[in-house]
Amino acid sequence: MSVLQKSLHPDEKYKAGKLGQGLSRIGAGIAAVFFAISILLVVFSDTDTARNAGHVDAAGEPAKWARFLYDYVIGWSFIFSICVGVFWLILLHHLVRGRWATVVRRIAEAMTLAFPWVFVAGLGFVIPLVAGYDNLYYWAHPDAGHCLEKLASGACHEYLNPTLVHKLGWLSPGFFAVRYVIYAVVFSAMAAYFARKSRQQDESGDPKLSESMRVASGPAMVVYSLVTCLAAFDILMSMAPKWYSTIYGVAFWGSACVGGFSALGLIVLGIQRTGRLTHSVTPEHYHDIGKWMFSFTFFWAYTAFSQFMLQWYGNLPEETVWYKYRLFGEWQWVSIAILVGFWAFPFVFLMSRWTKRIVPSLVFFAVWQLVFHWLELYWNVMPSYDWATQAHDGARLSAGPLTGNIAYHHVGFSPLDITVWFALIGVLLFGIGRNLRGNLIPVKDPTLGLSLAHENL
Amino acid sequence: MSDERIPDSPLGHGDGSSDGDHGGTAVRREGPLFGVLAEFDTPGELIEAARKVRAAGYTEFDCYSPFPVHGIDDAMGIRRTVLPVIIFFGGFAGTVGGLLLQWWCNAYNWPWNIAGKPTWSIPANIPIAFETTILLAVFTSFFGMWIANKLPQVWHPFFRAERFNHVTDDAFLIGIESRDRRFDGEATPKLLADAGAISVERVHFDPDPAVRTMPRWITAFIVASTAFALIPFAIAAKARTSHSSEPHIHIFPDMDFQPKYKSDQAMDLFGDGRENRGEIAGTIARGSLDADDTFYRGIEHTADGDHWTTKFPAQLPINDQLIKRGKNRFEIYCTPCHGFDGRGMGAVPTRVAATGGAWLARNLVDAGNPVAINMPNGQLFNTISNGYNTMMGYAAQIPHADRWAIVLYVRALQRSQNAALDDIPADHRSGMQMPEAPQ
Amino acid sequence: MSSADATMDSHHAEAGKAREAFRAVTRDVAWVAEAPKPHKAWLVALAISVVLFAIGLYSIYVLVTTGIGVWGNSNTVCWAWDITNFVWWIGIGHAGTLISAVLYLTRQTWRVSINRSAEAMTIFAVMCAGLFPLLHTGRPWFAWWMIPHPNDMQMWPQFRSPLMWDVFAVSTYMTTSILFWYMGMVPDLATFRDRWAARGDKLRAIIYGVLCLGWRGSARQWHRYERAYLILAGLATPLVFSVHSVVSFDFATSQLPGWHTTIFPPYFVAGAIFSGFAMVFTLLIPARYLFNLKHIIKDEHVEAACKIMLATGSMVGLAYASEFFIAWYSGNMFEGFTFINRAFGPFWWTYFIMVSCNVLVPQAFWFKKVRRTPIVIFCLCLLINVGMWFERFVIIATSLARAFLPSQWSYYTPTRYDVGLFVGTLGLFFTLFLLFFRYAPVIAISEVKGALPEAHAGKKH
Repeated sequence: MSVLQKSLHPDEKYKAGKLGQGLSRIGAGIAAVFFAISILLVVFSDTDTARNAGHVDAAGEPAKWARFLYDYVIGWSFIFSICVGVFWLILLHHLVRGRWATVVRRIAEAMTLAFPWVFVAGLGFVIPLVAGYDNLYYWAHPDAGHCLEKLASGACHEYLNPTLVHKLGWLSPGFFAVRYVIYAVVFSAMAAYFARKSRQQDESGDPKLSESMRVASGPAMVVYSLVTCLAAFDILMSMAPKWYSTIYGVAFWGSACVGGFSALGLIVLGIQRTGRLTHSVTPEHYHDIGKWMFSFTFFWAYTAFSQFMLQWYGNLPEETVWYKYRLFGEWQWVSIAILVGFWAFPFVFLMSRWTKRIVPSLVFFAVWQLVFHWLELYWNVMPSYDWATQAHDGARLSAGPLTGNIAYHHVGFSPLDITVWFALIGVLLFGIGRNLRGNLIPVKDPTLGLSLAHENL
Repeated sequence: MSDERIPDSPLGHGDGSSDGDHGGTAVRREGPLFGVLAEFDTPGELIEAARKVRAAGYTEFDCYSPFPVHGIDDAMGIRRTVLPVIIFFGGFAGTVGGLLLQWWCNAYNWPWNIAGKPTWSIPANIPIAFETTILLAVFTSFFGMWIANKLPQVWHPFFRAERFNHVTDDAFLIGIESRDRRFDGEATPKLLADAGAISVERVHFDPDPAVRTMPRWITAFIVASTAFALIPFAIAAKARTSHSSEPHIHIFPDMDFQPKYKSDQAMDLFGDGRENRGEIAGTIARGSLDADDTFYRGIEHTADGDHWTTKFPAQLPINDQLIKRGKNRFEIYCTPCHGFDGRGMGAVPTRVAATGGAWLARNLVDAGNPVAINMPNGQLFNTISNGYNTMMGYAAQIPHADRWAIVLYVRALQRSQNAALDDIPADHRSGMQMPEAPQ
Repeated sequence: MSSADATMDSHHAEAGKAREAFRAVTRDVAWVAEAPKPHKAWLVALAISVVLFAIGLYSIYVLVTTGIGVWGNSNTVCWAWDITNFVWWIGIGHAGTLISAVLYLTRQTWRVSINRSAEAMTIFAVMCAGLFPLLHTGRPWFAWWMIPHPNDMQMWPQFRSPLMWDVFAVSTYMTTSILFWYMGMVPDLATFRDRWAARGDKLRAIIYGVLCLGWRGSARQWHRYERAYLILAGLATPLVFSVHSVVSFDFATSQLPGWHTTIFPPYFVAGAIFSGFAMVFTLLIPARYLFNLKHIIKDEHVEAACKIMLATGSMVGLAYASEFFIAWYSGNMFEGFTFINRAFGPFWWTYFIMVSCNVLVPQAFWFKKVRRTPIVIFCLCLLINVGMWFERFVIIATSLARAFLPSQWSYYTPTRYDVGLFVGTLGLFFTLFLLFFRYAPVIAISEVKGALPEAHAGKKH
């Protein structure tokens, strides 16, 4: 609670210089290499996996791109969530007149300015969806409105799937794409607004700009929460279209903030390694980033536990089915890994002050949490990959996600899962690099002095 | 310069025998020197002075301020407290304890099916384990902090200094205790004065040594109140280990006393003063007529009077099923005394004999003393119903039909236990061996 | 020499100013408790509160001697005013912990002026809250059965029940709140001790001296004290989340439409903070006039609280919206019916009050003018209190009055004993709060001093 101020160190290198170009080149390189590997993997993959999982196209051929697209959604959600998490820090910082984060705010702004690139990358799964690709989201599949029931005689009886038919208007490729565009515009515009004002202040040093950002952060926070929740419902929750949970958006946001703060810490550190900002960003700031990582690890666990425990306790079949496919068979090991890796282990260690202040240990936990954040998204999406199919009058009809025997429900881990994820990380780095320009610190922000002198109790 | 800044300093009176407050007119006896107390103007000066005192090598000193002064820890070289680590383990004990408590109560000691959930249902145990974690961690932080701070300690020699009472208002003080090995009656106050103190004061223990220890009455009070608090536990302990013919104390009556009559109570309404009304003469309860004497009592009416029947009641079909039923009931009710073979050496007589006593049960199948063999069926039935010699009646436990089934089984036993080899069909004889003769 | 003298003078001036600032804080806070005669308005308010409390005591007397049939919930709406009031009071308590713990962790220094009274409010609100489930058991004297203890019946509490979770959560919360409150108060009680001692009032000095455990304000003590206080704040933060989450589990673990929804835990927590802040300012806005604390509980502090109410009110609104959306999205006909019934069924008016008071009313806080007009804030806070009460009522009563089977359908009307008990807890709450305001350090004196710019006087930069 010090009111002490410090001024920027005279030797501080706070200009981005060639940093952004370098980063965007690295990002583009990573994206290109890993996309190429992924495409080769798909082209030369055997098609049995897709067929066994029930993914066939209209002609009855195995839909071999299905796995790629599932991985694409996971990887995309990963980079999207990082931007979402970091953007929250910016909004909160303005809203409560925060102090400590001023020194890292410009870097956070560069990260959120990657939103347009992220949303462009997202077209990679939205365009196939709109173009009629029906093996990604089950609700886009022609069989979605129907259910199959095997009668005692062995024959199949087809009937309407009422709870799904009911919402096929909301969950239709067209409307989905419209909402996607809305999310893209809203996030990109909001991020651009705060970044632009912040840069204007570098020029003029006008404290009124801080004030106007503070005023704007209120409504922005409202829009932000709404859009984040809806995006989570649309992009992730609708993977299992009959399942629903009201807390899902909040749980996604908690996980996103873990990812966002971890990524912010890593990027700030990476920039310091280039010799920039070495005097301004101190262990005190890493300590705060670590605190937020810790808080959101806890918050995510709280939301995830609430969701699980309430559905477990209520024991309604339409809800527990989602967990049934995650808590038994092969997936239970992934669930346990997430419980231990995404919560218990970092929770216990991030509690300590020193884990957050000693840079190598913070780096370890940031990388660790990013990996588990990805695994958590994987765990949310991938169990929906298996669409049990049933023979019906000679033709195969898919029964959709979360159906069929759990024993046949494999994690089915493939190298593609990793390569697509890395490719999309490349896209994010490219997007961030494009925006690392000019000052890396809001040099004329009125709270900069406080932020530089920031100390934790 | 420094002289005018320590106007109240008693430094001039090196022996400390008088107190500045009294302007030197009233001479007061003082106890041994406890330490030196110096006041500073601002938190900033306090920090600087603390740094100097520390640099001079003092360890037994402390700074006093109305609020935690930012930066003082560093200046004084206070090491970070280990409290967080202790609290972590306190919380951990809470987690483990909370889980163990729930496991022991609900899964081990008293497993109970609730909504088909497993008795040891971790998701449902987490909220309480969480609360116990927090509770124990809170207790550890709260009590741990006071213990580490050596509080409560309601009296301290520094309280005798007038300025010390402003620590909770606006004063910033440094106190150096005389037990510090570098403490020097002259140099120490000078160090503080040079560090910018606005006043330096010597603080002595109270001249009366009794005041330096805890008053007796506090000890007495603590002992007495502890003893008083133990009274309820003592009463509970006594109640658990003793008997009393007095009724319970009903603090809350609940529904223990209801406005109604229970059986065998007094009642003014009737002439006999009793609440119970007896049965009305000549009536019989519904379904209790039991008119069939053969079935219900084993008696047959003939021209020459009533006899024990030698037959079985007509309503019972004599078949395998009835014998099996009889065997089953016999083995439940009769074998403890009469034994499985009916020879009167069941578990009870055997056990009693082994301990040196005697418990006689009738040998039901003894051809040498054929009392039971010679009894008519009706008498056997009556014996089961109402007992014989020391045997109690079983009418309350065994329904009538089952009693007849036992009679049938006893007849079968009597036959089989006295059978000869000839009685066995020829095709079943091969491989059979006669048992040794029974005792 | 002369330039040195000038430096000295400016130094003395600065030091003098700092001292005066510290003394002013002590004086202004202690004044409330040291005034020989209480304020007339205080006496009137206390009299009213005691009368209300007496009404509550009478209602409890009738309830305990007759049975809970005297309440209006002896139909299928079996949780009605009692549980509504329980959740409402618990929620009010949450702002206290939030102000003292969460805002402490996030370094919002404006909290120092209100945290003490907010913490006190927490304790009193939890006391009121605890009464309701206790009395709803019908035989409150058996409440100790909920504590696991060896007994002749060989029975143990059923820990898988959310109602047992409540027992643990609320009692842990109560304990933690009291310890946190007390620990924060110790340095200020020492201030009181020293002030009474300086005046020669030995009895009061001894009482406060024992209560403050002999606090000396030494740096070594402060060091551990601050560390422990920070950790207590860190523990109280997840605790406050867990308490209202557990309260929400009472509902959400069931299968009743309108109760069984996963957003309940964070939604209840947001609502709790929302209503708690409203209650804090319902109390503090009059109090800062009455006790002349306007320069300590500043307009900026009130404004910050308005923003928190706006934020939490919007969160609650978001939760209403997502509940409605998912009720439709789920395709579950019971869920769908429940929400239509809430808005258009027999309890439509309660729903109307809830939405307008909780979502629409706080939107007024977007305007700075509103945030700076205490009387308007006071009225809006009252409305929010009402709205949050109705929110709990809507959740509880509408779902129970229209459960799965039409044969379960009924309507709930409170009896005079329902009303009496609720009024009684209001009386209890205000009575305790008024007593607290008269006899305890109502503002965290040491924390206010630490947050003053003068706390850094004389430091070398």
